[in-house]
Amino acid sequence: MARAVRSSNRADLIILGATVLVALTARGLPQNMREPVASVMRRTFLAPLVMLQERSEASRRSLLLDNERTAIRDSVALRAMTVTSLENENDRLRQLIGLGSRLKWGFVPAEAIHGRGVRDVTTMTLTAGSNVGVRRLNPVVSPEGVVGMVSNVDPTMSEAMIWTHPDFRVSAMSADGSAFGIVQAHAASATTGYLMELRGIPFRSQLKPGSLIVSSGLGGVWPRGIPIGTILSEISTAEGWARSYLLRPVVSPADVGAVMILRSDRATKPFDNVWSSVAEANAAAERIVVSGDSAAKSAALAEAAARRAALDTMSRDSTAGGQVPGGLPPELMPDTVSRAPAPRLDSAGAAAARRRAAARRDSIRRDSIQRDTSGVLRSPTRGI
Amino acid sequence: MNLGSIARATATFLILVLLHYTLRPLLGWRAPMDFLVLALLLAAIRVRPAAAAIIGLILGIVSDSLTPEALGAGAVAMTVVGYLASWLKAVFFADNLALNAFFFFLGKWVFDVIYFSVEQRLGGIELIQQLLLWSPLSAAATAIAGILLLLIMRPLLEPSRV
Repeated sequence: MARAVRSSNRADLIILGATVLVALTARGLPQNMREPVASVMRRTFLAPLVMLQERSEASRRSLLLDNERTAIRDSVALRAMTVTSLENENDRLRQLIGLGSRLKWGFVPAEAIHGRGVRDVTTMTLTAGSNVGVRRLNPVVSPEGVVGMVSNVDPTMSEAMIWTHPDFRVSAMSADGSAFGIVQAHAASATTGYLMELRGIPFRSQLKPGSLIVSSGLGGVWPRGIPIGTILSEISTAEGWARSYLLRPVVSPADVGAVMILRSDRATKPFDNVWSSVAEANAAAERIVVSGDSAAKSAALAEAAARRAALDTMSRDSTAGGQVPGGLPPELMPDTVSRAPAPRLDSAGAAAARRRAAARRDSIRRDSIQRDTSGVLRSPTRGI
Repeated sequence: MNLGSIARATATFLILVLLHYTLRPLLGWRAPMDFLVLALLLAAIRVRPAAAAIIGLILGIVSDSLTPEALGAGAVAMTVVGYLASWLKAVFFADNLALNAFFFFLGKWVFDVIYFSVEQRLGGIELIQQLLLWSPLSAAATAIAGILLLLIMRPLLEPSRV
């Protein structure tokens, strides 16, 4: 029994040695012989396994690619969402560069940092301070016009009071200089949003909706000619000694991103053609609106006259007993509703009836107008 | 072993071989589980050491044929692991999951040690990193997969107690 076990173990060891020898022989094959041997096995009995492995790897690659494609698609969608804001920011920066080139000197560019609170709707932090020449009460402007003024200054940062602040005031005038007043924030509401009020306009001065209002230069803080807003409508106030107007501001507080802070020395110098392009654009828009209104009014008047003429013609025809071909039947005409149907007459009779009716109308008109001794025409129904 | 147990063991062996060439490349882990080693170990505890060595040689040659530059390395490793597993089968006959997991872990790690030593592709710090980091991780993954398979395929995997 023990001998059988020993011989069995010996056989196992011999087979082990043989198999290891075969394996080492395979390992010791030269490189140019390994590939043919492996290739033969891959092309024969291992072909199904090789195919399975290739398909599994292809599946894995497609899974990874799908994840990658999804990530790329998401990235593209995310970028597409930001394109509009980037375009807007690009436009604003271009405008700011244009403003800087027109100002030429005496300004400090700054980024506006908006807060997130009730108080911060009326103020904003600017990324420029006294180190670069910013002082308290320096005007803060954008390419569109008035934004606010610096209220507090730190070496590297400053705080600005936006025009929405209740304490903000700016002396203003109409673009043609015919009316002067004070602009302040209008109490915001859910329907109007942020608007401005122009107060203190004399009663003799009336401003049309759409008129541009600019800073007047009075008061010493704001230079003359910076756009503030456009007239929306006149509003009634408790004072009653002057006119007040509602303004649509040229600058929306939420859209302010990059601004210019005008230094004190620059604010006292003239601003030739700095904001003229904005003013010209607004004036052009106003002219277009006005001309559009005039054209519409003329067209409406012409249409009303044509309608009246057509009705008169139809009325005369129906009174004469005829009906305009294709027109309304006589019983539906306004003049014939309360009248009895006119008897049909021949053409000679119709002509005589028209002459009699015209004579009656003329006699009524002549009788209804009396000439008094002073030579003024008066209507008898109204008395003297 | 009767005919039924031979058929079950063969089926299990083929399933593991198929998993090696389907699930493993699909997962694509850095430390992959080795279903061929599992198949070898589960076959080795059912046969004599000499037969286990032959099965290991065949499995090794098959696996090496897909990586011709390492032809023979896998065969040597599989042969030795198969022989040792069959020789030690008495130790791992106990129906203990932890012991079986250790058996799978040890089998895979010994295989990797022999394989990378014979292959001689890696050297120095790379070899140490492979043998002390990635190989144990791969062995652990193989052990976990082996235990899961034992639980799922218990009726097929009942070893012959002849």
